[in-house]
Amino acid sequence: MIEFQHVFKSYGRGRNILADINFRIEPGEFVFVSGPSGAGKSTLLKLIGGLEPASRGSISVNGRRIDQMPPRARPYLRRAVGVILQDTHLLYDRNAMQNVMLPLTVIGLENSVAVTRSRAALEKVGLLGKEDMKPIELSGGEQQRLAIARAIVNRPSILIVDEPTANLDQDTARRIMEVFRDFNRVGVTTLIASHDRALMASYATRTLRIDAGRFTDMQGVAA
Amino acid sequence: MRRWLRHHRYAFLVAVRRLLSQPFSSLSNMLVIALTLATPILTASILISAQPVARQVSVSPEVTLFLKPDAPSSTAQQIAARLQADYAEKISAVRIAPRAQIYSRLKQDPAWADALAALPGNPLPDAVVITLKEQPDLARDAAALVQEWKKWREVDRVQHDSAWVQRLDAILGFVRVGLSMLAAVVALVVLATVFNTVRLQALSQREEIAVARLVGATEAFVRLPFLYLGALTGIVSGVAAVILAALALTPLNAALARLASSYGTQLALQLPDALSLALAVVVVAILGALAARWSVTRNTRF
Repeated sequence: MIEFQHVFKSYGRGRNILADINFRIEPGEFVFVSGPSGAGKSTLLKLIGGLEPASRGSISVNGRRIDQMPPRARPYLRRAVGVILQDTHLLYDRNAMQNVMLPLTVIGLENSVAVTRSRAALEKVGLLGKEDMKPIELSGGEQQRLAIARAIVNRPSILIVDEPTANLDQDTARRIMEVFRDFNRVGVTTLIASHDRALMASYATRTLRIDAGRFTDMQGVAA
Repeated sequence: MRRWLRHHRYAFLVAVRRLLSQPFSSLSNMLVIALTLATPILTASILISAQPVARQVSVSPEVTLFLKPDAPSSTAQQIAARLQADYAEKISAVRIAPRAQIYSRLKQDPAWADALAALPGNPLPDAVVITLKEQPDLARDAAALVQEWKKWREVDRVQHDSAWVQRLDAILGFVRVGLSMLAAVVALVVLATVFNTVRLQALSQREEIAVARLVGATEAFVRLPFLYLGALTGIVSGVAAVILAALALTPLNAALARLASSYGTQLALQLPDALSLALAVVVVAILGALAARWSVTRNTRF
């Protein structure tokens, strides 16, 4: 469950990137966050992932108030939230397997178990057989899928994804969206930021629209 | 516990990989620390080797009272008796050196015989040789006694035979202070070098740190490889410093042996004992880890 109550976000004394945001997402929902570039979609996702603090208001994720959470507790929240940012943030000096294994290394999982789970994650995104390849040797779509494998290897209950299909051709975009759909079908709450109207029309059951920091909740429609 | 060990193993391997990924830079830093640390190790070697010399000489500190040349021969006996009566607590032995006895002994020495033959008579005074008792503050006590005895009417001159030991002690004291200052300089060099190394590493590993945080790494997890990097730098530098100091002792000892043999003695510089050297390496490793922690905390706020 994700709940925002009167959330504001600004940087320094600048204007509000997000202003008075209120919504609630139930477990297992598949939700799009739409809006033009610079509307605050990425900021919203970062607030959910605990990557940035809100300026005001309360944010609850999985029943815990992350705005009241001490900084040392936030890493434990991030382990339950798979984050895939627009820039995939892959480690280019490590191979695909090592990239996927990182979240498991962070939690101190035994190496053999980590390898097994990482292989399973790579298989889910169709990258099995490319474990030894460096990200630079993979195509844009494959890099995106590698980032997905890394986000889901820790079996998160929430997946937040920022512009997953930007710069990808239609077929690749559709395959990646199917991967998210599959995770959602097994109960993973999925929140995707996108400004691709066609994509949202195909998949959305609910869309949260942000424009200039203001917010509209459109249940059951594509914005 | 096993998870904790796995974290440490991972952090250690990451630190080794980071050191090896920039071998020239890592070696340069280690060499700077090693050379800086080798200097106090060598100074400690000199201190350790010189201390026994001072200690050995000062076991029988002697003070000689030369009486006035015109003093009657009984004066030496009287002074000896007075010393034994009044200074029994501080004196272990008193010996009289009669002028006639010393004169005849010198006359038998060919080096002195000609010079003495040219003199009209015996120019030597009677002397009383005092051996002081060993005690903790001997040097200061001896100096006070010398001042006291100089005031005696019958005494012409007082020679403190162990005065040079005092000088040596003072020099060693000076070296000890210098050693403490050198140790402080080494600590500063270790802190500054490791701080800067870790700062550069943290900046170059910016992406990796950001990704680790993204997937739920705690700050302790992010910091641990840098702490190992600092500690490893300290350990390798410390061991290199000991090796450098040992190598430097070989030519120094060869030169010292030639100098000592010209005085008919033997002297060689020795490294501090293994425990002290190990302790120095451990201290440098801890300083390295502390500098790394300080640096990584300051330079990974992004």
